Amino acid sequence: MDRLLADAIGPERRAFHIAGALAVAATIAGILLLGLSGWFITGAALAGLGGVLAVQGFNYLVPSAMIRLLAIVRTTARYGERLTGHRAALMALATVRARVFDRILSVRDVRAVSAGDAVTRLVQDIGALEDRLVRKPALPAALAGAAIGLVLLWLASPWASLALLALIAGLVLWGHLATPRLLASAATDIAAALARLKAGMIDYAWASPEILAYDLAPAIGRSLAAEAAELDRARRRFARGEAIIDAGLTLGGGVAMAAVLAISGAALPMTVLAMLAAAGAIEALSGYMRGVSRGALVTAALARLEDVAGRDEALMRAERASGPVGRTIALDRNGAHVRLAAGERLGIAGRSGSGKTSLLETLAGIRAADRDCGIVLDDRPLAMLPPAAVRAVFALSPQDALFLSGTIRDNLRVARAGLDDERLWAALDVACLAADVRAMPHGLDQWIGDGGARLSGGQRKRLSIARALLAGKPWLLLDEPSEGLDMATEARLAHRLDIWLRDTGAGLVVASHRPALLALAGEGAGAILKIDGPGRPSS
Amino acid sequence: MINRFDRRGAALLWTADSGAAILMAAALAAGVAAAARHDHGALRLAVGAMVAAAALRAALQIGATDAGEIAAADAKTSWRKRVYPRVLVAPPGDRRMLGEAVADAVDRIEDLGGFHARFLPLRRAAILSPLVIAIAAVFASWIAAAIMLATLVPFGLGMALAGTAAARAAARQLDALSRLSGLFVDRVRALPVIVGFGAQERIGRHLADATREVAARTIDVLKVAFVSSAVIEFFAALSVAMVALYCGFNLLGILPFPAPERLTLGEALFVLILAPEFYLPMRRLAAAYHDKQVGEAAVERLEGIAPPAPAPSDRAIEAPPALRFDAVVVDYGETAIGPFTLDVASGSIFALRGPTGIGKSSLLHALLGLAPIGGGRILVDGRDAGDVALAGHVGWAGQSVAFIPGTLADNIRLARPEADDAAVEAAARDAGLGPMIEARGEGMALRLDHRGSGLSGGERRRVGIARVLLKDAPLWLLDEPTADLDARSAADIAAILASAASGRTVLMATHSAELAAIATSEMVLA
Repeated sequence: MDRLLADAIGPERRAFHIAGALAVAATIAGILLLGLSGWFITGAALAGLGGVLAVQGFNYLVPSAMIRLLAIVRTTARYGERLTGHRAALMALATVRARVFDRILSVRDVRAVSAGDAVTRLVQDIGALEDRLVRKPALPAALAGAAIGLVLLWLASPWASLALLALIAGLVLWGHLATPRLLASAATDIAAALARLKAGMIDYAWASPEILAYDLAPAIGRSLAAEAAELDRARRRFARGEAIIDAGLTLGGGVAMAAVLAISGAALPMTVLAMLAAAGAIEALSGYMRGVSRGALVTAALARLEDVAGRDEALMRAERASGPVGRTIALDRNGAHVRLAAGERLGIAGRSGSGKTSLLETLAGIRAADRDCGIVLDDRPLAMLPPAAVRAVFALSPQDALFLSGTIRDNLRVARAGLDDERLWAALDVACLAADVRAMPHGLDQWIGDGGARLSGGQRKRLSIARALLAGKPWLLLDEPSEGLDMATEARLAHRLDIWLRDTGAGLVVASHRPALLALAGEGAGAILKIDGPGRPSS
Repeated sequence: MINRFDRRGAALLWTADSGAAILMAAALAAGVAAAARHDHGALRLAVGAMVAAAALRAALQIGATDAGEIAAADAKTSWRKRVYPRVLVAPPGDRRMLGEAVADAVDRIEDLGGFHARFLPLRRAAILSPLVIAIAAVFASWIAAAIMLATLVPFGLGMALAGTAAARAAARQLDALSRLSGLFVDRVRALPVIVGFGAQERIGRHLADATREVAARTIDVLKVAFVSSAVIEFFAALSVAMVALYCGFNLLGILPFPAPERLTLGEALFVLILAPEFYLPMRRLAAAYHDKQVGEAAVERLEGIAPPAPAPSDRAIEAPPALRFDAVVVDYGETAIGPFTLDVASGSIFALRGPTGIGKSSLLHALLGLAPIGGGRILVDGRDAGDVALAGHVGWAGQSVAFIPGTLADNIRLARPEADDAAVEAAARDAGLGPMIEARGEGMALRLDHRGSGLSGGERRRVGIARVLLKDAPLWLLDEPTADLDARSAADIAAILASAASGRTVLMATHSAELAAIATSEMVLA
């Protein structure tokens, strides 16, 4: 994760340097502005007491010009620092966000990824990193503030300078010691409560027709409110902790001024300058201290992102060890033995719940294969093969097909890179969906709703089949391909699939209750595998 | 009431912080004046007062932050009560992606936190505190106080200009951010498809473009937003500079105009220290300005999600109702389905049949108010369906069965929360889940996740059927309840439904001949 972050920051390094330099300029200008003003007033007062001659000897032109200049420098430098710093941080994080998403895409067990959790990582956690990057210029600003403060105090009184040094060190130490105690657990609790709340919402929102039909909203609202109250409590704890840490700076600023006034033996104008500079030096710490306290949030976020990053590397190693597969499939499940060569077909029948779907999902590389799943690809047990290599061989049209919220075209083009419209229409034609799509007002560009909600059950099924056909893999896997279809459409679909399989030479494994589809596998003795339950096949 | 008190409490504490700043300035000025007089006793007293004033400020700031956070929690709770129920029953055909809706509900409400905890109290304090500071300054130098107040005019103009531009840009950016969240949720949800087809790289590139676009938009917003804080910085610096120059020239006695007052060193330092404090509440407010933009944009979006609800109808259906669809057109905007006219007699089992995609499910959704009706009317016992409280009083089994994380019993009990364990188990067994329950050996306590992983397609359907059986409602809406089941299971379910359906009105969409056989009437849509 650190490397990922470093890679993303790399191109923005120059911008961060510029932001740091501007922050230094703004801090120094701010401290000098107030210090010089105090010096000027005190000096003027003493000169005023000294009579006309002293007044004429007092050089007021240079300080008054300096005061005006510093007011302008402070403003412009601060604006420049903020803009440059934020631009650099946001651009770096756009890169991080995309990379982390790539890593979520490459997880081993895709069914285990919860959308709410993933989005928390991509939005909240990376947002927390933004805070850290935006505060990068705070360190040079704090150092510059401390340096100018110590120098000006040294001119007034070395002892006062040492006292300021001790105070600054004490405050930095306070920030680092108090943060883990006051903020760390609150920060983790906030992130966890937020993730739980979102995951819960997404899970529940899937149930909207049932929620409406059974009027579940109040009950679910109550259970979500309990989660939300936990979130609010954690936020309050965090805010209070942060205020306590900040209060250290407020107190420290007062103590610094009091100490200079008590210790300094220099001329009064210099003492006033030193007092105000000491207060300014402490104030310059605030950005850095806020970064330290926010570090609790960043650390929690980084830890979760680390989880994603770590998984990716493990996967990459496995990938390299793979080779091409898919010439033969052997299924060996407690007695029943089937061996398929390229282009052959198999039907799977059995009661609902007997494991047809999990067999197909395992083949497709979407469900992690057990050591004893009894599936052998090219004489290598499936469990030993990397999922990506397995996925390259099979195109699955699952029982409950998932769709992107997008257009028909978006969903079909997921199948393979570089598909033109002609091929899309050809696949839709085989899947018996071409006429439906032609009848839609926007054709291929028809928006299909949230996860395909605008399509009927049968249309979703056929779109999913068309997508599997387009993938151009050596094996086609169909899970209940004709569910939700009327008899006429089902017969047409079976006929066209038969022609397509013959033309392309692709193999087929089809699970279905329906004779018309099982017939695709042929009439031979070994063509149909009947399974009666998980691990209990018969033929 | 508590809510209002606390919000005011935070504002008052922030104003009190300015009061403590006045003490600090006074102690400092007195200390320097004492040093000038070489009065060591007074000097020590002043040094002690400075430390005490600083400690007081620290305590007040902690209290103000905490009070703001309490007010924010109250505000968020009342929004959650209003918004969450709406998001949970969003129409499934809605164009907005589910993730966007959830991001709206959760994140937008969280966005209100800063608005209520910081911005609102600080805005009140930003009106009161400068006045308090200016009044204190009058006692030392009325001209310095006038200088501070005079800088407020151009400052206000600058803020107004920068503020409106920033608010517009922020609303646009929030839109983009929300779409990005929705895109992430959608693509993660479709992960099995993306991974199955090896489309990771293409989808990843698409999302990378989207994130960069959002970053670019954010920078545009910040360019404007930082102008307003620069305006404050400038006037804060300007008021310090002007007060310093006025005091210096006054003390030197070389003002270019006749001096209306004669300052002492103590008075001059007092107003100099107060000059930055005069603008501090505004700077704090500016730091919370982002909270305001985010909060206001969030309120706008939340109003959109949850408009003030019309009074819900309490005319529940009790006896099996008669349904009439009168030339009903379901209009999704780009596609429209219908018109359909059909009559379902009270207590009958009515099967909707017809080719795939003709709109059988849409009619069921329309009855529940989940699909937009573009024309015609749906009548329940002669009354408009919108006036009858159907929600909560019907049995529903849809094309996809929804699961919540929890046990099998929890999932079935959703239909009737007050049902006892025996009733839930009976419903499960009636729906034919018995063999599965035996096989898993965990009984009704079988854990399910939000995807119902581990259940086969047929078992999911049976969970939906179990819910309908448990609900015992006068009206059942069934949408392909036997799809995914083998012929024997479908026949079982048809028999169960047939025996349990007597004394109810049942409207079902189906392809299955076994199921259609139990219907007392049917209609083929074409």
